[in-house]
Amino acid sequence: MTETILQFDGVSKSFFGVHALHDVTFSLPKGHLLGLIGENGAGKTTLMNILGGVLRPDGGAMRLRGRDYGPRNPAEATEAGVAFIHQELNLFTNLGIADNLFIDRFPRLGRSPFIDKPVAKAQARKLLESLNLPLSPDTLVDRLTPGERQLVEIAKALSTGAEIILFDEPTTSLTAGDTERLFRIIQDLRRQGKSIIYISHNLGNVLELADEIVVLRDGRVVDQGPREGFTVDKMISRMVGRDISQIFPSRQSAPADETLLEVRGLSQPGIVKDIDLTLHKTEVLGLFGLMGSGRTELARILFGLEPFERGQIVMDGVACDGVSVRDSIRRGMAFVTENRREEGLLMEATIADNLGLVALPAFASPSPVRLVRARRLREAVARVAESMRIKNGPVDRTPAKNLSGGNQQKVVIGKWLLSKPSVFIMDEPTRGIDVGAKYEVYSLINDLAAQGTGILLISSELDELMGMCDRIVVMSKGEVQGAFDRSEFDRERILHAAFKGHRAHQRGARR
Amino acid sequence: MSGSRGKMLVAVLRHTPLILFTLIFLTFGLLSPRFLSYQSFENIVKQASYIGIVAVGMTFVLLTAGIDLSVGSNMYLSAVVAGLLIRHHGLPVTLALVVCLGVGLLFGLVNALAVTKLRILPFVATLGTLWIGRGLGLWLTKSALVEYPESVTRIGSQRLLGVVPLPVAVFLAVVICAAVLLRWTTLGRQFYAVGNDIEAAKKAGIDTVRVRGAAFVICGVLAALGGFISVSQLGIVNAGFGEGREFDAIAAAVLGGTSLFGGIGSVFPGTLLGAVLIQMVTIGLVSAQVDLYFQPLVQAGIIFLAVLLDSIRMRRLAWLGRRHIRIEETP
Amino acid sequence: MGRRFVRRGLLSENFVLYLSIVFFAILYLFMPYIASGRNLANLSSNLWPLLALVLGQMFVLILGGIDLSQTSIMALTSVVGGMLMTTQLDPTLFEKSPLWGILLSPQGSPISGTALAVPLGILAMLAAGMFVGLLNGLAVAKGRMPAFMVTLVSMMFFSGLAIYLTKSENIMYLPGGFTMLGAGEIGPVPYSFFVVLVLAAVAQVVLKHTVLGRWFFAVGKSIRTSVVSGVPTERVVILGYVFSGFCAAVASILYSARLACGRPTLGQNLLLDVIGAAVIGGISLFGGKGKVLWAFFGALFFVLLSNALSMLALPFYAEPVVKGAVILLAALLDVTRTRLLAREIVA
Repeated sequence: MTETILQFDGVSKSFFGVHALHDVTFSLPKGHLLGLIGENGAGKTTLMNILGGVLRPDGGAMRLRGRDYGPRNPAEATEAGVAFIHQELNLFTNLGIADNLFIDRFPRLGRSPFIDKPVAKAQARKLLESLNLPLSPDTLVDRLTPGERQLVEIAKALSTGAEIILFDEPTTSLTAGDTERLFRIIQDLRRQGKSIIYISHNLGNVLELADEIVVLRDGRVVDQGPREGFTVDKMISRMVGRDISQIFPSRQSAPADETLLEVRGLSQPGIVKDIDLTLHKTEVLGLFGLMGSGRTELARILFGLEPFERGQIVMDGVACDGVSVRDSIRRGMAFVTENRREEGLLMEATIADNLGLVALPAFASPSPVRLVRARRLREAVARVAESMRIKNGPVDRTPAKNLSGGNQQKVVIGKWLLSKPSVFIMDEPTRGIDVGAKYEVYSLINDLAAQGTGILLISSELDELMGMCDRIVVMSKGEVQGAFDRSEFDRERILHAAFKGHRAHQRGARR
Repeated sequence: MSGSRGKMLVAVLRHTPLILFTLIFLTFGLLSPRFLSYQSFENIVKQASYIGIVAVGMTFVLLTAGIDLSVGSNMYLSAVVAGLLIRHHGLPVTLALVVCLGVGLLFGLVNALAVTKLRILPFVATLGTLWIGRGLGLWLTKSALVEYPESVTRIGSQRLLGVVPLPVAVFLAVVICAAVLLRWTTLGRQFYAVGNDIEAAKKAGIDTVRVRGAAFVICGVLAALGGFISVSQLGIVNAGFGEGREFDAIAAAVLGGTSLFGGIGSVFPGTLLGAVLIQMVTIGLVSAQVDLYFQPLVQAGIIFLAVLLDSIRMRRLAWLGRRHIRIEETP
Repeated sequence: MGRRFVRRGLLSENFVLYLSIVFFAILYLFMPYIASGRNLANLSSNLWPLLALVLGQMFVLILGGIDLSQTSIMALTSVVGGMLMTTQLDPTLFEKSPLWGILLSPQGSPISGTALAVPLGILAMLAAGMFVGLLNGLAVAKGRMPAFMVTLVSMMFFSGLAIYLTKSENIMYLPGGFTMLGAGEIGPVPYSFFVVLVLAAVAQVVLKHTVLGRWFFAVGKSIRTSVVSGVPTERVVILGYVFSGFCAAVASILYSARLACGRPTLGQNLLLDVIGAAVIGGISLFGGKGKVLWAFFGALFFVLLSNALSMLALPFYAEPVVKGAVILLAALLDVTRTRLLAREIVA
């Protein structure tokens, strides 16, 4: 029997009388990796905040190495050897790696207040080497790839002498190669006796890595046990609380012959090359590629956010060799960006203001003053909110920042519906939202397609594309590497195309 | 892509303040040869010293993504208090200097509390203390002139070791101390961290209240010191002393490459260059015998140029540093 | 019960108005002459031009920017208008002006004294204000420079220009048709009230009821989201600064007419009043928040405060101290209100 390093014993927490955690009990054996899964709102974040000293539990207790553990602030948690690697990295991009590692406890020159730079650098170099990251400790974090930054975070955790490391969705912004490297390092850490809690919506990864799995639902532990007892299907059904017969709603339409969008020989040096694409009416076209394959960049070029040098974008039979965002919208294009907080929403504005933003000119009087027809706009917005089942308070009072991730994403999609787009580009529309909300987004995509909209769906989750699309185009190195009709969908072949030239290129591109 | 040209471009872009400095220096030199003499250069640095000291303090605040509009009032109030104590109570000069710096420190502390504890935006908080400080100074003086005795003005014309004018020596000492503080101490690195991302700084265990507060306190002390140096050269403090200097200090810091958005900038060479640059333009215009009324227009034009270059530079650097998905074959 | 009342008042949009009324009432108890016709006229003649400035500043603040150049625009437009309209220039004072002999002569400008002088002069003032605003806007929107630095430089440049053009002399002998704008009244109400009322009405309609107005708020809340959503962000930003310049020109017209001169140092100490009034009104320096009524309340409270301070015969130094303290209190209040509101939404 392995020794237990961390024990949750009946931990409870409520906010304003609502249970966020109820009698949570489980233990983490030393040197094990525990996968913690649950929908958004299931209580994972609250639990981690309690572990990290951000919140204090109302009831129950935690035991660390057999002793009572109740950190009153994050510093005490760090002191006790608990470290967190968050989804959003906590690094200062304007500083070097060594500065980032030691920002709150630089080694000093004797008793003087001055930093002992040689020692700091040497320690940093040793940590980086232990993670196989051959970078100078002076390198600015700004110059690092997301994968490298993640490793710097891990180095930081190790430098505090952490025994328990918690990963919260660490792979969302990593390339396939970086993810692989991260997993290798996580395995190494475990072998060195570090205990790990791994939180992710990517259930496949959890299943691959974990020794034990704990499932949270509505603040309670609904299932726990060794990995062998779980499958992805079982994990989903335990998380959602009911059997999901299918993850993807069935399609009600087939692609028509009519072409909505045609891309011919689109090139931008250093970004994409000779892209040809055709999107038909009522079609859901998947665009698959690894992180850094150029899929997002292509979408931004199509929508007019980035320039292109050669080629044409044809919509409604009209070709053009340069577009602006406003042209694209006028021509019936819509775009859900991959980062909804920065580019999708006005976080401080109400749901209604967000929903009305794109279609605003259509609700203006024809006079040059362009008065907003407020009542018509309000009604239209209310209709969209209703049809999308955006729950959570009155639309004209609730700010977008108060919504859950899933509802926020629905607002982002909803704001385009009022402009009745014919071509809808969605970049990772289900990233970071829970299973239930994902299903709603999928249904929405199907409904849109059924109404005749052509959808370009970009995702790094192949299962999602295989479940949703009529056709999948695969990109790698900024080029189209293959296209597959639904009848020819085949995991291995698609992945093969996505990896084409990828590794060799990565090595070549190293600075 | 031709690597060496790209690197050259990056090098040029990284050092725009220095390049701009040299260009302007040479231009004025061509316009009027006597501008290039040691005497004129010493004069430039001497006259730049007081605003330079204030600008060094401002750099700390700007690095933490704050701003301090009250430095002008702080200069006035601290110089008034010290001056009155010397005049009416015969305080010795050194003690008066300590009092002066003490007032500056208190002033900075008030700003620090308003920003960190009361959580008022730095712009608004220091706008408020700007007025309060000025009013207190006027109250103490009844808006009359405060004259400093000769014992103080002597300092302004003294030379350290007979070579370096004292104001310049103080200025350089401040620059060196500030640069060491920023580069070689934990607090110094934390200024950059807080300015880059305050939320991340909190999570990383940095005491952001202490760090941001320290920036305002340092800025307050240096504003008072700058004021004292200025008084040692002028000999008098009138009711408008220090008015508008906050903008000069900000301009000097920004000209030296410090960002108004926090996290980017340096005292050496940055703010040092910026402060000297502004004074160089002023003196250069005089020695080139440009119409007195026309000079502010040229000064504004040069600052505008520097800000424009900086924005182009940042965009170019971002562009050069962006990730390439594919490597184009060069023909 | 009492606490709830206080809380309601604190959270109300009209809080600053209530505060102004209470303040006025208290003053009235001690100094009944504050409500005298003469003092009220004085109050209003200070209020309307300030409000014009605050309205313009508000548009820029909503965008998340700031316009430090407003006062230099006042100085420049005052000089431009003065030079075009004046009927007499003293050669000993103006001979050194770079425009002497080109545009200026002892009889003023070529249009001086004609029937067109006043309308053209006013148009030129407005155009000059909008032009400076346009330059600011272009530098911020197209040049991607920080608004603070752009308008700071612009402040230095254009106030320098105003002084350079006149060699720092005031331009006197403005025609009666112009000065009447500052002194004229309809019944007890000064002309300036009607001018600023129109301006406020336009601002209100634009902000509340037009597409452009909603774009202003959107840009102030997130410029990146606005770009993706098809908002012509550059145009919106430029328009904001142009409007601010326009408002500064209107204020300049009112002040110049009242002083009956074109003054190259006009408005020199007004900048902090403007920003102070905006902050007190509750317009956020973070962008995305602002209302015409708030601008009015802020300007009203500020003018009342100045008026009371001067009438209380307090020593002159009390004014900056009180104004500074009031700005701090207003900011503190805003912080408290935001926290209370946030709690309200969560609960």
